[in-house]
Amino acid sequence: MEEKQIKELLNELADVTAEPVRPGLGKEIKNRIPQKLSTHKSGTDTIHIVINLRISKLAAAAVIIITIILCAGLFGGRDWTSDRIVDGIRDSLAWLGAGRADILAVRSQYEDLARQGKNVVYYGDSIQPGDSRAVLMQLKLPDGRYRIVFADGSTAIVNTEKLAELLSRMLQGKTK
Amino acid sequence: MAKKEKLTEQKPAFAHQLNGQRNANRREKYLDELRDSLAARLRAGECAAAGEFVDMYHEQIYLFMRRLGHDRQISEDLTQESFLQAWQHIGQLRNGTALTGWLYRIATNVSKLYWRKHKDKETASIEGIGIDVQESNDIGYDIVEHHEQLGRLKNAVEQLPLKLKQVVVLHYLQHLTIAEAAEAAGIRQGTFKSRLNRALETLRKQFT
Repeated sequence: MEEKQIKELLNELADVTAEPVRPGLGKEIKNRIPQKLSTHKSGTDTIHIVINLRISKLAAAAVIIITIILCAGLFGGRDWTSDRIVDGIRDSLAWLGAGRADILAVRSQYEDLARQGKNVVYYGDSIQPGDSRAVLMQLKLPDGRYRIVFADGSTAIVNTEKLAELLSRMLQGKTK
Repeated sequence: MAKKEKLTEQKPAFAHQLNGQRNANRREKYLDELRDSLAARLRAGECAAAGEFVDMYHEQIYLFMRRLGHDRQISEDLTQESFLQAWQHIGQLRNGTALTGWLYRIATNVSKLYWRKHKDKETASIEGIGIDVQESNDIGYDIVEHHEQLGRLKNAVEQLPLKLKQVVVLHYLQHLTIAEAAEAAGIRQGTFKSRLNRALETLRKQFT
């Protein structure tokens, strides 16, 4: 049978299979029309946010992936590379595990200072999670001394010798 | 002279055809305007418009459910469910041209959800094609054969995979345009056309 003939038969089939509808059905449906037709739900415990974007699935997938990378980048500092993201996650785990001061904030501060060209060193990647007196960051001041930030969030201004002592203690603790 | 007569014969036929075309266009335009106004009133939350909407579409949706293979009772329930869903998602309605596609899409999803929940349930056949044997003697062999063909085609459509059956039902049995039917099926028009071709090819193979 030709395709055209099938199409004609299908059109005919529509008439033949048009079954009568029970007379009361329309009325029953009308009875269930809500008192107030609302385009937005109100007073419920859920909020519907509908964004009707007609984009391809590929574009949608790309947007989702970029959003995840951006969020992960913000979480781990301001760098978007995968290493930095891993660092960020590790830092946050260390922070959660040891219950210490905001390592993420210090790291962010370090990155700002480094970007400004300041003589600053960050030890957050190598400190022991349980060591609250470990040096997290050092910043060389114009007078030759160092402003250091400890893992517990406290700060101190020390000279070169004191800094060397603190760092060597930190290193010894790590080798143990 | 003969030529002139021939022209006068042709003229009324052409004029009649032209009138028919104009009437169809006018009717289409009128329906578009009606749908636009109905969609606007529905979006404004007018309950009277909801009543008109039910009058306009409930038979179509019931038949759609029947043609998708639901029995009478379930079709009625699913028709009601489709309208309930429509009231709840009235905010998603864009304009009049999308009205039909929008409602059919809701109905399609309602039906799909039902089949997902009742995987073991068999599809119900729609009645309608039957011919009285005594009557058939009077009306001749050709008509009996034609009805047999229709019956075979109905069975073939019912046995199509759900996706293919859906496109055939939407376009040929519910008389939706390709754009409306594609919207109802939630696919692009190109995909819809390709599925339709596959369905027709399957039906053609079954008949040869």
